[in-house]
Amino acid sequence: MCNSTMLKQEFLKKWIKGLHIYNNLNKCVTISDRKKAIKLSADVAIASTRKAATHWSKALMDDVVSRDGNNIILVQQILGGGQNAEKNNSGLITCSNRILRRSHNNIMACRKARRRVVPRCVKSSSIARKLVKNKTRVLKSLVPGGQKMDGHRLIKETLDYIVSLRVQVDVMRRLACAAERFHP
Amino acid sequence: MGFGFDEIHGRPETDSSSFTALLELPPPQAVELLIKEDFPAKPMPPPIFPSNIALIDRASKFSIYASPDNSPDSTAILPASSSMKLDLVKQEPLESDSHPNSSSPAVSNQSSKSGKRKEREKKAKESNKKSQKVAANEASELSGEKLPYVHVRARRGQATDSHSLAERARREKINARMKLLQELVPGCNKISGTAMVLDEIINHVQALQRQVEFLSMRLAAVNPRIDFNLDAVFAAESGSSIDNSYLGMFDPSIWPEGQINGSRQNLYQQPLHFDGLHQPSWGREDDTSNFISPEDSLLSYDSPPNSAENGAVKRRARVSQVARFVYTGYN
Repeated sequence: MCNSTMLKQEFLKKWIKGLHIYNNLNKCVTISDRKKAIKLSADVAIASTRKAATHWSKALMDDVVSRDGNNIILVQQILGGGQNAEKNNSGLITCSNRILRRSHNNIMACRKARRRVVPRCVKSSSIARKLVKNKTRVLKSLVPGGQKMDGHRLIKETLDYIVSLRVQVDVMRRLACAAERFHP
Repeated sequence: MGFGFDEIHGRPETDSSSFTALLELPPPQAVELLIKEDFPAKPMPPPIFPSNIALIDRASKFSIYASPDNSPDSTAILPASSSMKLDLVKQEPLESDSHPNSSSPAVSNQSSKSGKRKEREKKAKESNKKSQKVAANEASELSGEKLPYVHVRARRGQATDSHSLAERARREKINARMKLLQELVPGCNKISGTAMVLDEIINHVQALQRQVEFLSMRLAAVNPRIDFNLDAVFAAESGSSIDNSYLGMFDPSIWPEGQINGSRQNLYQQPLHFDGLHQPSWGREDDTSNFISPEDSLLSYDSPPNSAENGAVKRRARVSQVARFVYTGYN
């Protein structure tokens, strides 16, 4: 599928560009610094290939920007646009929303726990539903920006996220092997 | 010959478009063109056929004058039933090939109409318990439109109130997406049950994320400078026996200007004229390499997620192919 190779090419270009920019901005001395830089550029690059068409890419960008103010320049250069002020605000808003939602969930859980009496019969459907709910919660924590999505949208975003992650892993692995070959 | 043209000239301006086309055409194709001009405008049999019939008669007579071998066409055209004309329009694109502008709208309209019909039929067959409206909704949903209502016929033995119907529609959408996910994640096809499938999906996402971390650590360990690997890698690539044409696909404009030195530019300039040699060499590369080809690497992801961690030995053996493959894969 030529679409996947185009995606990989785009990701590689943006990633390399990001690495150059990061290198100009910050000095990376230790190995962990370098690793962070590489991973950061890779994340920004893979999120920018989606061009904010999906929720997870936006959330990932927000995350990157909120982690360190300097990253805004990196994001700006790779995205090529001046959407960063909005991104900053939306990042803060999502953070506060998350906190609110978590507290709300906790409250509701407490209330439910108090209300529930010992169930007479344990239905398999309720067990299944509980399992699915737990797993959905875990998935939401994995996919960036997943907390705000309902089940249907979550699955769609997960699909997209998995494809992008694979592209990222594929390109990174090949580059790592090629680099190791020439610098053993 | 001139008699036919003069007749057509004298007609009123209602059919001016077809006339201007006619004026440029030799007579046999003019007849076909007349009919095709009518059809792309209206999907249903248009009511102006009776007025065109006289024209077509005259044109057909004219075509009989022009070349005898077209007479079967013209005699077939004479009966004025709309269904016949539809059939003829379908046949004629096969015969005439000298006027792609006029024939293609008719053909493409026909094919797009039949394509849409087929899509709707297929959807109706798949969801044969649902009503047609849902199928139409799904077909249009795929094309990006949003419809306010989803009409679903209730299945036998199930509740019919609006809430459960809406919920069922939503659940079916979710199930469709889950099936897509199952196809994407390896090993999920055999598992039944939402919870188990979700489990596999979670494992897969976690494994991919861990792989990203691990690979970025590897890359960080390779070099003291994070952007240095590429310079050296490309330089080393050019020194080896590998065909330099692969490097031509990375155009120099993507690298920031400050980093490019003269040697690298030379490196990029020379292979650019090798672009034409790309295709045959890839075929060989793909056959000989053990890796998943770039076309399949997203869909047939069948290597287990942890292979990166414990496949070091295998990787060393394949490294020479990989180095070539990094660049062959990008086109």
